[in-house]
Amino acid sequence: MKLYCLSGHPTLPCNVLKFKSTTIMLDCGLDTTSVLNFLPLPLVHSPRLSKLPGWISKDGAINLEKELKECAGRVFVDSQPEFCLPERELLDLSTIDVILISNYHCMMALPYITEHTGFTGTVYATEPTLQIGRLLMEELVNFMERVPKAQSATCWKNKEIQRLLPGPLKDAVDVWTWKRCYSMQEVNSALSKVQLVGYSQKVELFGAVQVSPLSSGYSLGSSNWIIQSHHEKVSYVSGSSLLTTHPQPMDQSSLKNSDVLILTGLTQMPTANPDGMLGEFCSNLAMTIRAGGNVLVPCYSSGVIYDLLECLYQFIESANLGTTPFYFISPVANSSLEFSQIFAEWLCHNKQTKVYLPEPPFPHAELIQTNKLKHYPSIHGDFSSEFRQPCVVFTGHPSLRFGDVVHFMELWGKSSLNTVIFTEPDFSYLDALAPYQPLAMKCVYCPIDTRLNFHQVSKLLKEVQPLHVVCPEQYTQPPVTQSHRADLMLELQPPPMPYRRCSVLNLPFRRRYERVYILPELANSLVPSEVKPGISVATVSAVLQSKDNKHTLQSVPKPPPAPPSKKRKRVIEEPPVTLAHKPLLSGAVPLEAFLATLQKHGITEVKVEETADGHILHLQAEDTLIQLEEDGTHIVCDNNEPLRATLRDLVLRFLQKL
Amino acid sequence: MDIQCVSVLPRVCEVLAASGSSLPDDTSLEKLLDWFTATTNTGVSLLESAPCLLDFISNVAFSSTSGPGILSFTLKLTGLIAASEDGFKALEECSVLKLIFDPHHWKEAGLWEDPCLRIGWIQGLRKMLQHSKALRLFVQADLIEPLLQLQTDSSLFVSSAANQLLAHVLLLYQSLSSAGCNGANKRDLEHSGVSEQTIISCSGIITNVSEYLKKSLVLKESSHPPQSQQILKLLTLLLVQLRPPLQEQLLLTVIDSLEELVTKRWSLPLMDVILAANSSLQDDCVSKQQIVRLLSIMLYMKKPADVIQVAAAFLRSRQHDPTHAAYAAGVLLLPLDIATGISLLKTNSTGVDLRILMTEQLKSKSCISMICVCLTNIPQITVMAPDCLPCPQRLIVAAVLTFLRLCRGDSSSSSTACVEVSRFVTGSSKVQKCAMEALSELSKSPEAEALLADVFKLLTEYLNSPDSDPTVLQKSYKALINWIGVCRDFSSITDQLREGLMQAVRKRACDIRWEARDSTVEFLGHLAEVCPIGEEREPLKTLLGSCSFTIPLLKEALQDPESYVRASSIATLAQTLTFSWQQGAALTQEQEEIVTQLQEILSQDSEGFARRAVVKFFTAWFSSCPSPTSCSLLMQSVPSVLSQGVADLDWEVKLHTLELAELLLDKTFPERLPLHPYAVISNQPHTCHAGENESDLLCSLNSLVDQGVVPALLCGLVDCDRPVALKACQLLIKLRDTVSSLLVNAADPRVSCMLPGQSWVQEMRGNKDAHTQGAPHVGSESRDEAAEETPCTDGDAVCVSVCEVLRTLDLDKKLSVLMQSSDHIYNSPLSLLQDILTASTAASNPNSDPGQEVIVDCY
Repeated sequence: MKLYCLSGHPTLPCNVLKFKSTTIMLDCGLDTTSVLNFLPLPLVHSPRLSKLPGWISKDGAINLEKELKECAGRVFVDSQPEFCLPERELLDLSTIDVILISNYHCMMALPYITEHTGFTGTVYATEPTLQIGRLLMEELVNFMERVPKAQSATCWKNKEIQRLLPGPLKDAVDVWTWKRCYSMQEVNSALSKVQLVGYSQKVELFGAVQVSPLSSGYSLGSSNWIIQSHHEKVSYVSGSSLLTTHPQPMDQSSLKNSDVLILTGLTQMPTANPDGMLGEFCSNLAMTIRAGGNVLVPCYSSGVIYDLLECLYQFIESANLGTTPFYFISPVANSSLEFSQIFAEWLCHNKQTKVYLPEPPFPHAELIQTNKLKHYPSIHGDFSSEFRQPCVVFTGHPSLRFGDVVHFMELWGKSSLNTVIFTEPDFSYLDALAPYQPLAMKCVYCPIDTRLNFHQVSKLLKEVQPLHVVCPEQYTQPPVTQSHRADLMLELQPPPMPYRRCSVLNLPFRRRYERVYILPELANSLVPSEVKPGISVATVSAVLQSKDNKHTLQSVPKPPPAPPSKKRKRVIEEPPVTLAHKPLLSGAVPLEAFLATLQKHGITEVKVEETADGHILHLQAEDTLIQLEEDGTHIVCDNNEPLRATLRDLVLRFLQKL
Repeated sequence: MDIQCVSVLPRVCEVLAASGSSLPDDTSLEKLLDWFTATTNTGVSLLESAPCLLDFISNVAFSSTSGPGILSFTLKLTGLIAASEDGFKALEECSVLKLIFDPHHWKEAGLWEDPCLRIGWIQGLRKMLQHSKALRLFVQADLIEPLLQLQTDSSLFVSSAANQLLAHVLLLYQSLSSAGCNGANKRDLEHSGVSEQTIISCSGIITNVSEYLKKSLVLKESSHPPQSQQILKLLTLLLVQLRPPLQEQLLLTVIDSLEELVTKRWSLPLMDVILAANSSLQDDCVSKQQIVRLLSIMLYMKKPADVIQVAAAFLRSRQHDPTHAAYAAGVLLLPLDIATGISLLKTNSTGVDLRILMTEQLKSKSCISMICVCLTNIPQITVMAPDCLPCPQRLIVAAVLTFLRLCRGDSSSSSTACVEVSRFVTGSSKVQKCAMEALSELSKSPEAEALLADVFKLLTEYLNSPDSDPTVLQKSYKALINWIGVCRDFSSITDQLREGLMQAVRKRACDIRWEARDSTVEFLGHLAEVCPIGEEREPLKTLLGSCSFTIPLLKEALQDPESYVRASSIATLAQTLTFSWQQGAALTQEQEEIVTQLQEILSQDSEGFARRAVVKFFTAWFSSCPSPTSCSLLMQSVPSVLSQGVADLDWEVKLHTLELAELLLDKTFPERLPLHPYAVISNQPHTCHAGENESDLLCSLNSLVDQGVVPALLCGLVDCDRPVALKACQLLIKLRDTVSSLLVNAADPRVSCMLPGQSWVQEMRGNKDAHTQGAPHVGSESRDEAAEETPCTDGDAVCVSVCEVLRTLDLDKKLSVLMQSSDHIYNSPLSLLQDILTASTAASNPNSDPGQEVIVDCY
């Protein structure tokens, strides 16, 4: 069993598991942090961005004025942002049989994998994962295509040149593999390969393994996966949460008794407690509004925003914010808000019960009805006529490199009354803000990451007791910035197996059993004999048929009767003489009794030597060795066949014959 | 004793003796006994006023068919009567005393098993044992044996009462014997009823008790921990109360057992015993040395969790023992020393072994409780003499600061101990609270100011942290106030620190948790008190105190959805504005807005807390204003506050309103203060105003009416809430006495006021009837007619003449009625006795009409 690790990002994993002749890809995360190296894509012409000076090396030897721009002491690539894809050279992607998706954040690289690679398999995901994932992809494509950039910068990627670049660009890895965003057509094609599954539904893969998604409690439709054969069980735990938020709670008990547990997607903010952050978010928001400023919340259009809106719903009244408008701007804002209301079966129990009442499960519906929350596909159109300040704007993309958020950063960045509150944990807020410097706007970082923290995960693992744990190497040591926090790492016995990008791990367990079926008529013909109380054995002669990874023992077909021949021929009537049927032996040779028997037969000079597996008897007078081992007995005796036969018979006395 | 009660009592006794099962409720016997006790305490002899009790006691004692409840009651009653020597004699004469306190008698009747009876026996004895005759009876009847058995009774109530009784017996013996020893001659002794024989015969008790303690200390230890704890508690009790000869005798007997316990198994009660012995023993006592030795054994134990408890107990008990105190302080500081890596202790001051063991212990979860014990006892360390302290207090502060940082998950040290401890304490609000408390206390330390900036920085971090629990926030605010309060020099507080604090406070004022908002608002109030704005202490003013920062925050808080926060913000506004009021500064536009907002709250807020705070705000304003009458806004607001406040639904709002009315009353008629503190204050009504002329009085009275004081008082008087009516009544009496000169002449129609509601007319009529009946000669016919006409109704409102009302109302009678609690009738002894009788008749006629049953309506 092997695990190929195609992504180095612990929360955006992409791993391939080879298990019993199947090749299963686990998640398909797209590392978008690479976009932080690019200049923002403004929706309307930005004089500031267009006037940025180009970059020329100090000695003037390298001139990349066209490709690289300098802003506030950092260099950015002036081209359409590019993403860091999962590794595509480590194995042939066309051999992948299935892709299992755990949540909508972990499927963003899907078109890169399923298109133009020869992939012919199936993708499995739950319905909300597919639908919201589609929204997020649509949004991403929309953000990019709205502001087309003809130029594609490639010169800076030249290894010789990259070495000489300043700052983070110099250290960026695998820049040649960075790719521009996919098209809507590719998205549609990729998503057409998705087959929907429900929680605990069992899907057979080629009869070899069975896969089944379990609720992971992190987002709508998010799942962990169980991959099992008759005798082995592998659990794949990706973004999971034990907090009571909107999704169905995590199913922990089904993870028990795993041979291997692949653990990814723990919280990216182990020291930030989501409750505290939510409180921080609310108080900073209220503080800004009271002082007459605007609040900008860069966020994804699905996920934490549902919880934020719910929290605000309760907070608005208490903080006297009833008259402040809240805007949610995204090309998919409408669909996201509506979808969340219809996935009743995927919601937590509390919200599920609301579905049967004349009130929607999420309170954002009421915010919309009362006109407190308004949503728009973009800043163009209706929004511009209804826009009132001070206000709160939720919009994407959290990287601040594209989407409507770029506009608000340009618009509000100059006033210290305004605040930008980062709630998504995926991007470093300082890096995100770099191309907007100098910035007067206040910045508040309250990342809300509801995924498991180290405390929760160690409790979980104590409960489900997997034999082996595999996890990204980042989880096996404390964070670099907090090296003293021994509590911020996984400590297990046996220690977890770490992986990094491009690792190929031999998973530390060997398959020992395979299930074989036996046909009833064959079973009927068996003659068991008891070797031990309660254990009987029988010899079987049969034909083993293997088809679709199922193995069946069938009766040996009778040879076709010889065609009647008129000529008397010297044909062999009997079937070809098979070797004399040797009885099977079982049992162990008891040393003391055996020595006694030898003595009776006149062999007295025996030297016994203990070995790792049994004993060696040296019959000194006869210069003969008898090796008694657990699974075999050897008599080493030169040119003395009668003695060997005698010894053999003596040994056989102690063994049972079948 | 009430004559009616005396007449009913015999029948009650009969009923009780016959069958005790039909009591109105469980508490009636207790109430009866309380009544008897109260009667006895007034010096009345029970037997003299109610001889039937003697028959009752002997009936019950000899028949022993009554229920355990009645028996227990009888035992206690017997004890009560026998507490006086006369009663004792009377009971002894009818030979009931020995019988009733004889456990065998009850055991034979099979009643001793009932804990109710045993407790009655103990409490009866406890009541009786007041004099030497009782003690002699106790000794002669050999009651010490059963009492010792009860020490470890299965019922905790019984065993605890038995402990108390045993201590009482010994103390009585001690006081009697010391009276015998203190040079009094034989005749005096005989006179007081103490014969030498008594003392000698009683001295067996102490031997008995000591032997018993000695045995049970070691015997019971392993088998019954709760019982051995009970014995240890008893021993502590005895050691604290007994005096030298007895005390030492007792200690000498048990000391070996104690030593065995100390070495075998340690417990906190055992520590209490040793500490009690150590502090109460004289230095020249024989056993003192041994006790000190035991104390050292305990203090130098090697089990970290235990030794910390011992050290804490030692410091708390304030022993005068500098060497041990220094060691104990060292032990308590050791966990901090290890966890923070700041060396508070000289190497080896607590021993290498202990340090190693403690370091190990801190790696487990129990480190939380150990560290909490250390932190909560830091105040004990700070009060120690500097030469006993293992390190300067400055270092302790630094260690607590470092530790608090550790609790936030940020630490500069990378020592393994530090890493291990941080695993458990990070984010633990329990530990954080303890540490904050300790930090608060440390503000008193002499070198506090040097560390102010560090403390300030850390506390701001805590206030800023999104993970701080509201209780931790509250403690952080408290610590900040304490530190600001003691410091004089704020030069170390940089602008950056100041801005950080302001930012944090501003954020917390918008917190999602109301507790955090409330603490923040309260903090602003405390800050205003600790640093009055505008005083010499300039730096304080600029910390946060300037009104331009606080007032807008508080105004926002006035609209908070949580009523506690609204109430706190109103109180804080008062605290913040007090200084400008005192200075008589002109009101700002903002303050006027606040006043309008407060009046809205008073009239519209749905929660009592906020409305109470509003009334208190005006009270504070009025009392701190040097001349309230010159503040027009205040004087304009007062009438509406009074009228709304007194009509409120919440009785506390009404009471606070009356307090405001009292202020106005006092302002209008300032009381003459006595010339010197020892001057006799006349009980006569306050009529010093005789010199003032009538028109002045009239004028003042009129202004009181205009301000709404008189209507408020009159409304309060008829209020259905007793405390309100009482307060109003007291104030009206004060007013009446002040303006008495006006009342003498005639019903003065010149001052009149409007009152809402009809209840007034009834009150007046009722009073007038009483008035004319009780004192027919006061006032002529015509006056009565005038009074008849005075209350002229106008819709729902009534117009009354103030003087007439004051004259007519029998305020003194009303006061005496109001002074009694509202249930005084139901709680009277007569009602109790009648209840008992009624219940028994009801029980004896079970077939009586069920419709007659009293239906209790619990509304």
